[in-house]
Amino acid sequence: MSLVDRTCAALDQAIAVYRGTEHAERLTAIRDRLDEPLRVAIAGRVKAGKSTLLNALVGERLAPTDAGECTRIITWYRDGHTYEVLAHPREGEPRQLRFSREEGALEIDLGGLEPDDVTELIVTWPSQALRTSTLIDTPGIGSLSRQTAARTWEVLADDDETPADAVLYLMRHLHPQDVQFLQAFHDAEVSRPNPVNAIGVLSRADEIGVGRLDSMASARKIAKRLSLDGRVRRVVQAVVPVAGLLAETAATVTETEVGQLRKISERSARSVENLLLTADRFVNQMPELGLTSIERSALLDRFGLFGVRLATALLRRGAVSTATELAAELTDRSGVNELRTVLESLFFERRDILKSRSALLALDALTRTEPRDGSEAVAAAVEEIIAGAHPFQELRVLSALRSGWVTGKPAVLEDLERIIGGAGGAVPDRLGLPAEADAADLAQVAGKALAGWQQRAENPLTSHELAIAARVAVRSCEGILAELSAQKPSVAVPAESGGA
Amino acid sequence: MTETTRPGGTSPEFAQAMGLVDLGIQACQAYDRLDLATRLAGAKRSLDDPGIYIVVVGDFKQGKSSLVNALLGTTICPVDDDVATDIPTYIRYGDEPRAELLRDGDPPEREPLELDDVGRYVIADEGQSPEDRPAGVIVQLPRKLLASGLVIVDTPGVGGLGSRHAAASLAATSMADAVLFATDASQELTAVEIEFLHRVREMCSTSVCVITKTDFYPAWRKIRDLNKQHLKDFPDMPVLTVSSTLRARAVRENDKELNTESGFPELVQFVTERVAGGAGARLAATAAAEVIAVCEQLTAQFESERSVLDDPAKSQHVLDELTRTKSKVEALRSAAAKWNQTLNDGIADLNSDVDHDLRARIRKLIDEADDLIDEFDPADRWPDIESWLEMATAEEIVANYTRLREQADALSEQVFKHFQEASGEILDRLAVYNPMDVVSRADVEHNIDLEKMNLRKQAMTALKSSYMGILMFTMLGSMAGITLGPIAVGIGLAMGLGGLRTEKKRQLANRRAQAKNAIRRYCDEVNFRVGKDSRDTLRRIQRQLRDHYSTRAEELNRSTAEALKASTEAAKRTKADRDRRIADIDAELDRLRELRRRAEAVVA
Repeated sequence: MSLVDRTCAALDQAIAVYRGTEHAERLTAIRDRLDEPLRVAIAGRVKAGKSTLLNALVGERLAPTDAGECTRIITWYRDGHTYEVLAHPREGEPRQLRFSREEGALEIDLGGLEPDDVTELIVTWPSQALRTSTLIDTPGIGSLSRQTAARTWEVLADDDETPADAVLYLMRHLHPQDVQFLQAFHDAEVSRPNPVNAIGVLSRADEIGVGRLDSMASARKIAKRLSLDGRVRRVVQAVVPVAGLLAETAATVTETEVGQLRKISERSARSVENLLLTADRFVNQMPELGLTSIERSALLDRFGLFGVRLATALLRRGAVSTATELAAELTDRSGVNELRTVLESLFFERRDILKSRSALLALDALTRTEPRDGSEAVAAAVEEIIAGAHPFQELRVLSALRSGWVTGKPAVLEDLERIIGGAGGAVPDRLGLPAEADAADLAQVAGKALAGWQQRAENPLTSHELAIAARVAVRSCEGILAELSAQKPSVAVPAESGGA
Repeated sequence: MTETTRPGGTSPEFAQAMGLVDLGIQACQAYDRLDLATRLAGAKRSLDDPGIYIVVVGDFKQGKSSLVNALLGTTICPVDDDVATDIPTYIRYGDEPRAELLRDGDPPEREPLELDDVGRYVIADEGQSPEDRPAGVIVQLPRKLLASGLVIVDTPGVGGLGSRHAAASLAATSMADAVLFATDASQELTAVEIEFLHRVREMCSTSVCVITKTDFYPAWRKIRDLNKQHLKDFPDMPVLTVSSTLRARAVRENDKELNTESGFPELVQFVTERVAGGAGARLAATAAAEVIAVCEQLTAQFESERSVLDDPAKSQHVLDELTRTKSKVEALRSAAAKWNQTLNDGIADLNSDVDHDLRARIRKLIDEADDLIDEFDPADRWPDIESWLEMATAEEIVANYTRLREQADALSEQVFKHFQEASGEILDRLAVYNPMDVVSRADVEHNIDLEKMNLRKQAMTALKSSYMGILMFTMLGSMAGITLGPIAVGIGLAMGLGGLRTEKKRQLANRRAQAKNAIRRYCDEVNFRVGKDSRDTLRRIQRQLRDHYSTRAEELNRSTAEALKASTEAAKRTKADRDRRIADIDAELDRLRELRRRAEAVVA
């Protein structure tokens, strides 16, 4: 029985126990959630670039962005058949809102409601990108309006139930508040602290070098350092640098804009450098360019100074010439592709585990706070799954490793982390081989790993913790081998390693 | 003289005070009063190098170091995309560029440092052990802006209110003459920044909010307006917008227009006029007050001589009076003098009071920590607890020091009062025989105020060198050496059904006990180090105040002795000799009166 099936069974059992109570409806919702796309919240400090990143991931300018603080209400973006915006007021029934799209971004008419009166907005939007995950845009923490900040805590750091299955945490530079926030988001029971459901994003990466063309290289270096920092490792799995604005604009760049940028790139390098020295100069100087200041401001809004510098440099060098090429190049440089890859291997491949985990946590909290006839049986079932299911054991070892509870030689710990899926759940990821490695190689490496971990698990000199972890690794290796032999007839296509 | 060319005299009073002090020194030398000349030389030194501290604070990665570099047209403060400034850099005037490393100690040790190496020490280095961490870097640069005695302090980023750095920054601002608060144009001020600003304002009222990186963020005007809204509680706090990149380029290419565009001229104006000018005027007043005090002593000495010359018949009476005064001065110099006892008792009381205060604070901290540990599992909140404890300790230490400082101020004031009661009487006795001086006697109240101001300054200097500013950073820095350490034992992986919960419970209890022990050890160590630091500080204050008043008493002693000697000789003079001497003395007294009048003009 797969993990999701077992979770479903436990939920069905609970629904029967709590039938007729106020909790029944919630339990049904939790079960339905197992069939829905993974819920990914985008969180972070004020002005970290959350809405911009959301737009970049969706590939459309949906969430409104602004220089001042902008997102004040938690907004869900999910896939659907029709375009619709629903408001959940603090009091009263949910109601539909009117909306329009101004320059791409969604403009929602709250219909007389105050932002403080609305708990959340649900935007249903037919989109390919939203089919794999529902995205939740949150107001920033550290906001000057306390109400706004408090709301983010409500949705992410609630004690017993997290509406989101995973979180993308945007940080501009590691800040004590960031760590505090992430720790609050992590839950209690499966294992804590838990770096399993969070990815750190070093956002606004283009601003790190204050617009120098090598900013992204700097950002990569910083992200690398951050992902090795003990405090960060405890709470997120990886740190990826992303220039959100660049990615958002790349997804929607037009030929008109490329035409405007080309006009700039045709000037001499020296004069362009002077023109692009400051944002003010770009808007006001060099009238012979044939661009109005409104057009220039619009370019700045869309690309940022870094983007304009980069795009004109690319055009001048002849590296790109059309909107499509520019879009591809900018997307590539923005780092959003890397983020997608990381999301795929760390979130989407594990979506069953993450979703089951959310459901089981909610169930566990309910049985503890609202005991009822038959609820002990449910609690026992939940504990059995949490304690017994191999994917959860892997998660537990992973977080113990990350917290430094399991000690040993660094190389061994690195191996261990990889084999239990720390760098992604796919077989080649676990074995540290390239994705295109053939089945024979995979099987050989897996066999060797199995032997190695068996030995370590049985070695009396191995520390207690490492021995437990090694036993989990042995099971992981066995799982890999089983998966490989199941695939043997067909050509080796690395498949997801689901529940089992 | 080179001093007068120093732009320190941005305020006219400053140049005047310089001249007055020089005149005063000449007078003292002419009258063979080297003790008083030394006193004025001290005043001159503080005019030469007044040490007006401008502290640059702000959250990290807001471009503080770039701001300092651009302001001074240098690249001495390291700017990095990633690592942030870790220890403070003090940049002051020097004829040649030079750098020194400041190490913990009493007084702090200084090691010479290559200019190129400054960056290596200033930015955060994870690998460095806390003991090796220097307390700061002092850089001397030949910059016109600094020549007035400005010291610009680049500080580590605040990193949220709840950090050790935040407490250190706050402590530094309490000694600052002005604060530059840096925030970049990428976003409006955050809640943390505003709260920090509120606390900075409690410490130092001359401050400016500098919005950096305006070249890069097109929406900086909007951010500026939003920030002005957020800062409407501080109407006297200017909000300036600057671009360090533009300024650096303007300096490189000597481009005036670009410089204007960078927004720096306004910042420079604020620094030279409001900060240096304001502080300059204050310093000038203090120096002038010293000149007045010296004039008073010299005048008193001449006047007693003159009264004998005037009427030799009264000479015996005057001499008796002077002898009585001399014995009073002796009493003032002795250890049994009231001021001396006040000082000794006061320091002893202060010692036990500050120590008790610290113990009470730490005990409270331990209680809070215990509650926290009982509430959470230390295994996953340990780093939280650690940083909370660090922050809370830093805050308590700062509060404890603030208490020490306030009480030390009060004590210094009391010692002054007792000294003044005795010494004022002596001065009065010395000069009482001059009928012409009755008018200026009305100024006595005024003089006390001056002297008091002087004393306050003296106390400030004592405290400044004793514990605030540099030492606060040092102290809190050395606290980084005290760590809670990991509580690894007993944390393990539990697997399997049934065992999971009970084993977890057992481990949790074990962890809590360990955590509480670790907290106690930590607090003990803090108590020990801070306690020692307070005792040292108080000893320094005691020494400083004792030396100060002993010197004053010594001066009085000299004045009385001189008066006695001159009066004895005066009685023996012939009539013609006497008349000549009276004419001389009147001329000297006129000169002193003139000097005093001019000094009073500066003070007013």
